Amino acid sequence: MNTDMSHQVAAIEVQGLYAAYQRQTVLENIHLTFPAGKWTAIVGPNGAGKSTLFHVLTGSMKALRGSISAFGEPIVKLRRAGQIAYMAQREAIEWDFPVSVWDTVMGGRYGHMRDDVLWRRLLPARWHHVRHTEAVEKALIAVDMLAHAERPIGALSGGQKKRVLLARALAQQASILLLDEPLAGVDPPSEKLILAVLRREREAGKTVIMVTHDMPGARRYVDHVVLINRFVRGTGTPEDMLSETKLAELAVSSIEQTTTDRQTVPAASFSPEQG
Amino acid sequence: MVDSMLIIESFSDALVSGLIAALMTVVNLLPSSVSDAFQYAFMQRALLTSVLVGAICGMLSCYVVLKRWSLLGDAISHAVLPGVAIAYLLGWPFFVGAFITGALTSVGIGAIERNTRIKSDAAMGLMFTASFALGVVIISKLASSTHLMHILFGNVLGVKHSALMLTFVASIIAILAVWLAYRPLLLYAFDPQQAQALGFNTQIIHYGLILLLTLTIVASLETVGIILVVAMLITPGATAHLLTDRFKVMLFISVSVGVCSAVIGLWLSVVFNVASGGAIVLVAFGFFIMALLFSPRQGLILQQWRRRKMG
Repeated sequence: MNTDMSHQVAAIEVQGLYAAYQRQTVLENIHLTFPAGKWTAIVGPNGAGKSTLFHVLTGSMKALRGSISAFGEPIVKLRRAGQIAYMAQREAIEWDFPVSVWDTVMGGRYGHMRDDVLWRRLLPARWHHVRHTEAVEKALIAVDMLAHAERPIGALSGGQKKRVLLARALAQQASILLLDEPLAGVDPPSEKLILAVLRREREAGKTVIMVTHDMPGARRYVDHVVLINRFVRGTGTPEDMLSETKLAELAVSSIEQTTTDRQTVPAASFSPEQG
Repeated sequence: MVDSMLIIESFSDALVSGLIAALMTVVNLLPSSVSDAFQYAFMQRALLTSVLVGAICGMLSCYVVLKRWSLLGDAISHAVLPGVAIAYLLGWPFFVGAFITGALTSVGIGAIERNTRIKSDAAMGLMFTASFALGVVIISKLASSTHLMHILFGNVLGVKHSALMLTFVASIIAILAVWLAYRPLLLYAFDPQQAQALGFNTQIIHYGLILLLTLTIVASLETVGIILVVAMLITPGATAHLLTDRFKVMLFISVSVGVCSAVIGLWLSVVFNVASGGAIVLVAFGFFIMALLFSPRQGLILQQWRRRKMG
């Protein structure tokens, strides 16, 4: 389907994916290739299944059918190796949680800490391996939040919260970055900073995949666009995919959708897959 | 095999008497009007049991409060009853039966929630009352009503040596588990999706946490009983949440509140000759009210004062 990308290595390959909440199908027959070392934008109307796709990629939701591989291996392997970083939407985080900015960003290192020797893993943060503290510091500097490291996360502004979530993903030093609306509701300086950080990551060879509603930003920065609304509605270059006609088609497809009764995820859920 | 069991038993016996001796040196520093009550062996057993239960309930309550599991804690504590009854029937250890029915109930809640249009609060209310009712029916058939009352409301002054040992072992397991799995538990409580993306098995963490909750509830049976244990799984954590923005400090405050309410409540129950479980929970609630009023950041009084100063 996307012949221009077929000669490149796939960072993530999704084949025949179906996903549903309760009995409401959200994603159907998804075949996608996310090229390695590229910056991909996933675009689609609200409720199109973009976040659901990320839930399946991060493993917090089980697919009904289909397979996902990353660099040719089952994606679970890459997750266990700490190679998949995920930046949640701001609404998905409990900001009252009693942790500091530093602790939150350190959370991105927890996967790699499994490789540390046992005695380090049993000791408090002070004895963490220096590579973890360095990664956290570097990430905080990249998003310009080092001065706020000791503050509780609840005391931050909207843009700062986003930057902390990005820093947590950066601290992981993963090869694939999954970002769910990294630019939603941020102030212009934060937006500029986040886009600059992501461009640097891509230039460093990382695969960046983000859900976005920011069309001007996407047109300007990304290499590859995926249009999604329950089905894949198109993949290709930003020029082709983000043209007015294409976006109008996508909007029409979403009007067809609204006739179906969409069920939302319960806020307080007690099953482990949904937290 | 038998030899090693004996060794473990005598070793933990020695540990328990050591702990009691350590506690008593502290108690004996208090004025004799307080310490006199603790000169009897049954009071010393009650004291150690209360301290242990206060500590592990306080520890777990941080996770319960932050994960919004208060209602689930209530559900599990009720669901434990038939397990205890069946274990009693079959001569199993209480904990095994309690865990089986506790886990079955939480699985049932999840299944109803996922597969039907029934919401989670109704699913929980439905499952835990049914389970509790089953427990009441079984116990009414096989034991005296005083036994049922002790399970429901606790009887810390009548704690036997074997029950103290169970609480002791359960506390050690709970503390070790929280220590060894500190980071996965923290990440799971804060952001389960991130935990999943990092390749942690959240299913195992989820049921591990439920297992820890069940263990704590069973360990608290004799002290506060299954009706009131949920108070000890919420109040210390909620109090600590009002007082700090650091998770480790929250753990520390919560454990302190748990231990202090257990000890003060025990003492008050002896002095005023009232039910110990109720006294312990009321003292914990007193701590919560204090935090609610006087907490530096969240406290109502300082908030009022700040508002007035600004206006």
